[in-house]
Amino acid sequence: MDESEEVPKDFIKLKCEKLSVDEVSELVISPYCGAVSLFIGTTRNNFEGKKVIHLEYEAYTSMAETEIKKICRDIREKWPSVQHIAVHHRLGVVPITEASVIIAVSSPHRAESLDAVMYCINTLKASVPIWKKEIYEDEYSWKENKECFWANSEK
Amino acid sequence: RHSSGRRRHREPVGDCCPPGDGVPMRCQQVSVLYFARSAELAGLRCETLSVPRQITSLQLWEEIVKVHPRLAVIQDQVIFAVRQEYVLLGDQLLVLQPGDEVAIIPPISGG
Repeated sequence: MDESEEVPKDFIKLKCEKLSVDEVSELVISPYCGAVSLFIGTTRNNFEGKKVIHLEYEAYTSMAETEIKKICRDIREKWPSVQHIAVHHRLGVVPITEASVIIAVSSPHRAESLDAVMYCINTLKASVPIWKKEIYEDEYSWKENKECFWANSEK
Repeated sequence: RHSSGRRRHREPVGDCCPPGDGVPMRCQQVSVLYFARSAELAGLRCETLSVPRQITSLQLWEEIVKVHPRLAVIQDQVIFAVRQEYVLLGDQLLVLQPGDEVAIIPPISGG
């Protein structure tokens, strides 16, 4: 079998509807791949003792898609055997326990897809213009990823 | 676009849009996008602003704060995205084209 026959694809979607693990993993499945690795980011019900009612996400959508494409390009440079990459991020209200982000990567062997998924979520948190608001009972808070280099409060 | 057909020598930024000068020759209309906390402080998500064509990123921030003074509280935490490339607030000289998108980017929290 000629492995170059299947064109590697990036599947990037920002949407307000509930995300589907089945849908995202099916996007990257390939007959040339023995591994599909997944990351699912789900919403927790608490932060520093406060009860979280739900999360709300907003995005600079066009730039977020461009930045995620750059991450996919970087993944393919670092792990050339990676076949397909899917990144779905939810926007708007995300109830507790539901997924806010799902990342799936396929590769012939497992090491590359596992490493690529970790790289993808870490880099997304550092560079993609998406914002999360945690809604508590009496207040809310705009979150700041520690990976975000301009959130350094020690300036 | 030149309203009078004259070419001016380079002037300090403060003289770019003097009052009573008609259509400023060296200013551009850019789209400013506000997100997250900056949208709450400014009270809106996007608007068109007239800014000097050549301006440092810090000067651009100061122009925006003149219009929305409540943004001053987040100065130490924001960066820009100019034509979808991140730019720190500082001495970097921006060359803006009409219709360019400038986004205020508070600390991100995706994923």
